[in-house]
Amino acid sequence: MNTVLRLLVATFILLAANSAYAQDEDTSEKDQLKIVALEALIAAPPERALPRVRKILEGNNSDEVKESALFILSQIDLPEAQTLLVEMAMQTSGELQLEAIQMIGIGGDPTALSELSRVYEVGDIDVREAVLEAYMIADNVEGVMAVAMTTEVEEEFEAAVEMLAIMDATEELRGLRNRPGMSANLVEAFIISDDSEMLLEMAMDGSNREQQIEAIEALGIVDAAGTGTTLVEIYKGTDDEEIREAALSGMLIADYDEGVLELYRSSQDPGEKSELLQYLTIMDSDAIWEIIDAALEDER
Amino acid sequence: MNDETLTLYYYNDGLTPREREKIASSLATDQDVARRYQAICRQLDRLSSPAITAPPSDMVERWHDSLHRAARAEYSVAKKPVVHTWSFIWGAAVTAALAIGIGIGIFISGDNPSQAIMSDSMVASNPNSNAFVRGLQVHLRESEQGLSATPFSATADRTLLITDIIEQNRRYEKVAQQNDSHGLARVLRAFDLVLVQLAAEDITPEEAEALQAKLLFELNVVLTKLSRDTSDEALSI
Repeated sequence: MNTVLRLLVATFILLAANSAYAQDEDTSEKDQLKIVALEALIAAPPERALPRVRKILEGNNSDEVKESALFILSQIDLPEAQTLLVEMAMQTSGELQLEAIQMIGIGGDPTALSELSRVYEVGDIDVREAVLEAYMIADNVEGVMAVAMTTEVEEEFEAAVEMLAIMDATEELRGLRNRPGMSANLVEAFIISDDSEMLLEMAMDGSNREQQIEAIEALGIVDAAGTGTTLVEIYKGTDDEEIREAALSGMLIADYDEGVLELYRSSQDPGEKSELLQYLTIMDSDAIWEIIDAALEDER
Repeated sequence: MNDETLTLYYYNDGLTPREREKIASSLATDQDVARRYQAICRQLDRLSSPAITAPPSDMVERWHDSLHRAARAEYSVAKKPVVHTWSFIWGAAVTAALAIGIGIGIFISGDNPSQAIMSDSMVASNPNSNAFVRGLQVHLRESEQGLSATPFSATADRTLLITDIIEQNRRYEKVAQQNDSHGLARVLRAFDLVLVQLAAEDITPEEAEALQAKLLFELNVVLTKLSRDTSDEALSI
């Protein structure tokens, strides 16, 4: 009974919005009424709600109303609803198209999701971003991975890798590690996915110097247990200025002043000591007072 | 992330859109960063308000309500460590969860007293249980009410509120995903995208208003659908 009543109310409101307000110049009010009616449709049986939503989408309605209809469509558990979403994603443009793409993600229907690869191929940058977001919403790692594996455009690879990081697709990201020229994107993705194990491996791997330096710095950002000590070891184990600099930056980011202090105390080089002292000052370390006191003691 | 970066974020100055996005994301995920940012906002808000003006009466009423709620929550926590009494529905949900051996810890957030917080133990609960659905309904309803009640001009308040909602939303999404309630998980992930956009401070008031209207509509639809599904289940029983 309740369902029938709700359906009647929704139908009445939709009719009222289309007829009684026909002369009204305040379309915003009319739109609000339609949106309320659409909201009521969610309580109706799907087979009755679907034709009404379709009518809204095919009619001369504002984008705001149609976007609301698309969300209702994503919540209707009928294959026809998913087919209509795909049609909207392929045949519309602008905000409405982006919304339809996102709704396919929310609907999560495998067939509809597989159609998104075609939408991606022919779409502009906004459409492509929306497709990646839809894959993320649907937790469709395969879709994002397919983009990362096939694209030749760095920005697109970057977006796909970032999405994989957000989705915690650790294994897939690791599989992309050896892709040439993409080290910065991958290091960033490993930071987002908090994969300190992978970053440590890259930090120890001297075969790709640029990637190694970025990974060393990134160790400070993920700040996993033991990374401070590792950074000190990396610093001590090399004469390479850039790697030392990256290790110090890592310690600075992780606020690991104990490590910098240890390096300061063990150093015999006045130039290096001076640099390490600068780092301790930037880090606002309490140890700085010990050092000043010790230096003053020496003066006496 | 250092305080200087957060200060630049506050002033919407000297950061690229990408950096701003990252900070917004950190604010949503890292409690420590969110706390530091909150402290910075308080300090800088004070600097930018040379004259002390009386707060509007509705704000004073909200503070009073918050204090009363906090006092009630403290009282109920002292009496029953797990349950607080402001919501009968939520209380029933907790009772149901306890009955099936799930420990649920609920407490009141200091900054947003009306926000029901789901504890980690809830994360292990079953999304098909009534407790989960009712908890989710409370979360969605309170998100809707909180967003509607917080004016767009109250930037710092809104950022904190949205940060709280994001945190809760992600917990519910995690539970739903872990327990094969994929439809709910997908909707909650879509909400997350909108919430992160709403949390970005470089959003214009018009954009924020449009996004919020969209989110409120979707929250309402999901609430109605959850109620419908719950009553259908009850009828089938």
